[in-house]
Amino acid sequence: MTPTPMGPVQGTLELLVLKSLQARGEMHGFGILDWMRRTTGEEIVVEDGALYHALHRMKKRGWVSAEWGVSDKGRRARYYGLTDKGRAALTEEEARWSRYVAAVARITGAEPA
Amino acid sequence: MIRLSRIREVLRAIVRSLDPSDDVDEEIRHHLDEVTDALEAKGLPRDRARREAEQRFGSVRRHRDALVRLNRRGETMRRGMETLRRVWGELRQAARGLARNPGFSLGVLATLGLGIGVNGAMFAVTDRLLLRAPDHIERPDEVHRVLSLRTGDDGAPSYGASMTYPDLDDLRTVSSFAAAAGYSGPRTRTMGTGAEAMRVETVGASHDFFSLLGVEAALGRFPSPEDDEVEAPPTAVLDWDFWQRNFGGAADALGTSIEIDGVAHTVIGVAPRGFTGVDLSRVDVWIPLVPYGMLQWGRYDFRESRGFWWMRLVVRVRDDARLAAAEEETTAVHRNARQEQIETGRYDPETRIVTSPLIAARGPLASDESRVALWLSGVALLVLLIACANVANLLLARGEQRRREEAVRLSLGISRAGLLRGAMMEALLLAGAGGVLALGLAHWGAVVIRDTMMPDVYWAGSAVDARLAAFMAGAALLAGLMAGIGPAVRSARADVAIQLQNGGRGDAGRRSRLRNGLAVAQVALSVVLLVGAGLFVRSLAEVRGIDLGVDVDRLAVVRLEVEGASSMFGQESEEERVANTALYEEAARIARATNGVQSVSLTMSPFGWAFSAGIRVPGLDSIPRLPGGGPYYIGADEQYLATLGIEVLRGRGLEAADRAEGTHVAVVSETMARELWPHEDALGQCFYHGEEEDTPCTTVVGVAEDVIRGSLQEEAHMAYYVPLTVDGPAPRGLYVRTTSDDAADAASALARPLRSFSPRVRYASVQTLREALDPQARAWSLGATLFTAFGVLALLVAVVGLYSLLAFDVANRTRELGIRSALGASKRGLLRGVVLRGVGLATAGVALGSVVALTLAPRVEQLLFGVGARDPLVLATVAVVLVGAGALASWVPGLRATGVDPMEALRAE
Repeated sequence: MTPTPMGPVQGTLELLVLKSLQARGEMHGFGILDWMRRTTGEEIVVEDGALYHALHRMKKRGWVSAEWGVSDKGRRARYYGLTDKGRAALTEEEARWSRYVAAVARITGAEPA
Repeated sequence: MIRLSRIREVLRAIVRSLDPSDDVDEEIRHHLDEVTDALEAKGLPRDRARREAEQRFGSVRRHRDALVRLNRRGETMRRGMETLRRVWGELRQAARGLARNPGFSLGVLATLGLGIGVNGAMFAVTDRLLLRAPDHIERPDEVHRVLSLRTGDDGAPSYGASMTYPDLDDLRTVSSFAAAAGYSGPRTRTMGTGAEAMRVETVGASHDFFSLLGVEAALGRFPSPEDDEVEAPPTAVLDWDFWQRNFGGAADALGTSIEIDGVAHTVIGVAPRGFTGVDLSRVDVWIPLVPYGMLQWGRYDFRESRGFWWMRLVVRVRDDARLAAAEEETTAVHRNARQEQIETGRYDPETRIVTSPLIAARGPLASDESRVALWLSGVALLVLLIACANVANLLLARGEQRRREEAVRLSLGISRAGLLRGAMMEALLLAGAGGVLALGLAHWGAVVIRDTMMPDVYWAGSAVDARLAAFMAGAALLAGLMAGIGPAVRSARADVAIQLQNGGRGDAGRRSRLRNGLAVAQVALSVVLLVGAGLFVRSLAEVRGIDLGVDVDRLAVVRLEVEGASSMFGQESEEERVANTALYEEAARIARATNGVQSVSLTMSPFGWAFSAGIRVPGLDSIPRLPGGGPYYIGADEQYLATLGIEVLRGRGLEAADRAEGTHVAVVSETMARELWPHEDALGQCFYHGEEEDTPCTTVVGVAEDVIRGSLQEEAHMAYYVPLTVDGPAPRGLYVRTTSDDAADAASALARPLRSFSPRVRYASVQTLREALDPQARAWSLGATLFTAFGVLALLVAVVGLYSLLAFDVANRTRELGIRSALGASKRGLLRGVVLRGVGLATAGVALGSVVALTLAPRVEQLLFGVGARDPLVLATVAVVLVGAGALASWVPGLRATGVDPMEALRAE
């Protein structure tokens, strides 16, 4: 049985996007999506529209910057980059995620009594 | 070009932040294109690839709308824009409505413009005098003046600003003060010499004066402690404007030498523009206090002596110190320092030292001008109130005319709030436009008041500044609200059914009660203003009419500033005395030869100077003390009494022969004769002039009328005239009597020759007596002029208000008047009806206003002169004028009432 692709765990989409931008530098929406898909081996699939929601939300919070530019295919595209505020948020989100994973692991790893 | 495209980009960004849908669309399109490309590359046909891309995106439509909403920066902003657009629309509608009725609109505009304008003009003055600390002072709340306070025999407090130099040293030891400084002046001195000489206003300021205030020099530096010492080389700091005028604003003014009263001063700095220290009068040159004291006294005694009361003190209070404690401490130090004087009975042991606000007009020593200005601001506010009442009345009247229109609009579904907003908008629009009109008026008015009424104040900058503009915007808004709120509420309360039924006449009775009330209030306020005007006009007339004893209009007084002359009286050497006497005699010859000069007199006591030597009278234990001080003596030649126009009542005046050595005669004033020899003839009596034992007795040869010494308000004093003897002190001035009734021309003709006839004369000041006295009458002339101007304005507005009220009523009652006319009412009866109503309203206003005026008037009493605050003549005149004006205002509408054609009126229904 091939595993079905998962959506991201609730509340982690932003973490994923920030991490992608940290890893790859400035990217447009499609680039982010494409990179995430390839990096996770298509394990995590994000609905395209939802990605843009996350991007615009973070833009409003000042975590990412957005600038119109021209893509390598010669198209006008909106490029996103990490701001200082975004970097700080990423650190925080990562820590939270680690705590979460650890907590989940403690529960799932518990021996039956 | 680059800049142009940059601008376009910025504009685009702004537009996009307002409407982000383009951005969102473009981004989604790009994304779909990329996905489609990728899918196509995997072998899907283009159209299937596109569909797949859209499917993966989720619902494009839904996401797009959600993203646009998310991005729309500030939903509030959009709503704000919408409101703005709606308000704009309402404003335009209001403007259209007003434009349809230009007569009404212009009338209201003018009324509000005047009302707001006079407030602006007064604000421009009081802001400087009363509200704002002098410029360039850091944390002005901490800076205080230091005054002495004594309690007079009658229990009234008496404040004094003059202090001695050692008092400043004392203050510097008081722990509550972060700093203490002293200054003296302004005093007019002469810069340069001879024909090029000019008069400059100088102030001596201790070196810490500037650091205390926290002011920085615009160029160079302020005096250092070394500049402010005994024997320090004299230095000077120039005022900014003075530097611009006389040095062209050149930086190399620093280091140059200027001669002030014959002493060379090195320029070390330029004060920042508009810096006037803690007072408001113009200063041209700042000089360190100790060298300045030397300039003033010719010696350095003032440094140690507690007898030279020549300077004022300021302190900066520590932010943790309490004022009361600081005053307590200072008083103790002050009394302690004067222990010896107090013990020997030469100093009042109860003297207290108190602080007073930096803004002089708020302290106990506020000038009369600033007190009057404060009253006038209140008066200006009354004018605005009257204007608002009038406008409210006009708006009400108009609202009634439009009752029907409004009822229709209401029934068509426009909300009452909308109707209210519309009416308010109209009032605010009028007030706003009135405010713009007022700005011009305020500027003009402020300039006139500043230049003519308060020329001593240094008005740096334009009359219209941001503060004034803000104030006037506020006043306009307030006026709009005050005038508009009543009528607006009325219009919104209109009852549709009633209005439509009876053709818009509605509850006319209630409304006209409100409007009558407004008209009465206007008249009442006008009464208050006109009573004020009357009181000040009478004061001014009294002041002008004071019998000064001398012919003020025909006299000029000349004073020479002589090179090397010591300024201390009685210090001159014999050589100096002879030379100065010769100089004045030469000046007198020149003056006599000048056109328009009738006679010239030499005197030891030019205007404002009188000496007191103490006298003894055989047979009298003590000399009566009069409130005006004295007895004063005036050393004069034989021309003196005739030149000044002082009448000799008995005996003779001084004669040329009296000037010979060894004659001891005097002419005494009427008061002196009466006080010293109440029961016998003063002629032939004798008294000892001066306190030396060996002087022979001086014989009284004449009695002259009483005259003033140098100011308009003087209390009784004794005076006597002694001949300027050949071996006595040199003259110190000349009186010139002119042939014409205005001494000004002759005075200006005299100035040139007198300034250049001798190299020893540094400067010759020629001043008419009028010029010398006018500043003393300024408070009354300020009050009289502006109270009258405002009062007449108020009267006009009130009369117009009354007129419009009646005219409107007549127009509204056409039908009723027509019927009454048809039923046989006489024209005279109709006229009488209208006029009586007008007079009735005016009378009610006069009655109300009189009560208010009588209640308020005593508060201005101390600003008046020679007239009681409840002067019946003033009150009666004002009452007659207003009732008369009321009758006049109702005459025209009354005539119109008689002209109503009954048929016409009935057919109109």
